[in-house]
Amino acid sequence: MKSATMSPEATPAPVARPRGAAAPVAFRSYRSRQFAEHVLLPTLVIVLLLVVWEVAVRALNVPENLLPAPSVIGQRIVDAWPNLVDNAIPTTLQTIESFILATVMGVVIAAVLTSFRLVNSAFYPIVVFFQLIPKVALAPLFVVWMGIGAAARIEFGVFIAFFPVVVSTMAGLRGTPADALRLCKGLGANRLQIFGLVRLPYALPHIFSGMKVAMTLAMIGVIVAEFISAQAGLGYLIVFASSQADTALILAAILFLCVIGLVLYGAVALAEKAATRLYGA
Amino acid sequence: MEAERLNAQPPATVRPRPHLEAWKVSKVYAGKRGPVEAVSSVSFSIQEGEFVSILGPSGCGKSTLMMMLAGLEPATDGVMIERGREIAGPRPEVGLVFQDATLLPWLSVIDNVLFPVRVLKRPRAQYRERALALLKMAGLADFGNHRPAQLSGGMRQRVAICRALVLDPPLLMMDEPFSALDAITRDEMNVALLDIWQQHRKTGVFITHSIREAVLLSDRILVMTRRPSSIVNDVKVPFARPRSPGIVETPAFTALCNSLRQQIEAGYAADPDNALRAQANSVATAE
Repeated sequence: MKSATMSPEATPAPVARPRGAAAPVAFRSYRSRQFAEHVLLPTLVIVLLLVVWEVAVRALNVPENLLPAPSVIGQRIVDAWPNLVDNAIPTTLQTIESFILATVMGVVIAAVLTSFRLVNSAFYPIVVFFQLIPKVALAPLFVVWMGIGAAARIEFGVFIAFFPVVVSTMAGLRGTPADALRLCKGLGANRLQIFGLVRLPYALPHIFSGMKVAMTLAMIGVIVAEFISAQAGLGYLIVFASSQADTALILAAILFLCVIGLVLYGAVALAEKAATRLYGA
Repeated sequence: MEAERLNAQPPATVRPRPHLEAWKVSKVYAGKRGPVEAVSSVSFSIQEGEFVSILGPSGCGKSTLMMMLAGLEPATDGVMIERGREIAGPRPEVGLVFQDATLLPWLSVIDNVLFPVRVLKRPRAQYRERALALLKMAGLADFGNHRPAQLSGGMRQRVAICRALVLDPPLLMMDEPFSALDAITRDEMNVALLDIWQQHRKTGVFITHSIREAVLLSDRILVMTRRPSSIVNDVKVPFARPRSPGIVETPAFTALCNSLRQQIEAGYAADPDNALRAQANSVATAE
């Protein structure tokens, strides 16, 4: 896509074009400089680091179960591909489920807390108190309560992920301009109408920033739960590989987690972009 | 008796009857250091079709007064009456315009104008024509499908006025609608509002701290001071309608502005006791 815009026949639309025929060239070189700076440069640094890692491990004769070379990890990914994919599927699905539940729960809780002052006074301190508990420490408790099935892992993911959605949604709902509310009240709008027509759309950017945090937290929750109780999933695979001192497999699983996390986060960011197009300025 | 009075007047002539009346209206807030009197015992009456400005320095309680008249805030004391009925709460028959245009950024201009229709669940098709006509009148015919962010501040405020007029309310209330705009845009908006007024002739309540604006636009000006937050004078603006913006150049216009400025400065500089005395005097002379 980037290279297409750099070819002469696909000159982009004149945006802030300087005078004369030199303009498109200047523009193109600006675009290619952007590409070089933001894509080429970081890629180059990553490649360089991998090369340093590879060379260092080989030169210093580091044992493979301490730190395998990138090439060894790559080989391990190829070998264990079906195993990795099999374990990636439940982790991904459970993360998505946790995320969706956390988002719905978070928005509903925030809506209730901001709509009813007394409910807020009564329950908000409890919500904050729960947030202050080191929640990872509660993971074994969830196993006790919910057993070792997928439900326990999803619930734990929700438990860890919903709070940021609550806080940011509340901030968004409270940030509705006072005059917009006056306008609605002046027209005799009821609370539900005000919520749907004005407050919620105004809160959307805040909700999405909470959702982005929730997505990463949901994944952490699911993996921690997998460490404890699962018979499948990348968290389980990591624990299993660690018992075998299979460091290459651990790092391969972590790489998988990174890619999955990136894709899921990207999906939320895309949804945010679409929502901003609909509901943004 | 009411019916008799209505029958007695010939239908075509516009015999003034009060659209809005306030009688000893006060508003007291619970402040950190005891009660704060935001509006103290304000009385006035506004006739049908009259455009009245409430003029005063910032912090004199004129916005609070408008919120109470709009039914968005209860009065602590006193009575407010609209067309013979006591004002008990908000009603869609009042078009509201605020200092900020308060357009919903995700709606197109036309959807913003039709927002009251949507809230009241009235048939959109029935009001679409009117909305388009209003936008045309406001010089925004080509901007119906734009988003508010694509418009200038003056254009946004014009959209807000269209929105306030879309239900054809008999009463329009504006709370410093142009004070967030630059001076040149503000002058343009005054001319635009003069135009709109000429075409629609509703009852208007216009809150402002600009003397020129008040004199140019109004039939009558109620002067408010800060201490006490009360109306100290009721000034008739003698200029005939339709008005051209050219009247600002006339000596009569300047003289009226100066006299109003002196009244406001007197109220502004006076300490509470003096202001009270001044109010007592003005009440005495009125009687």
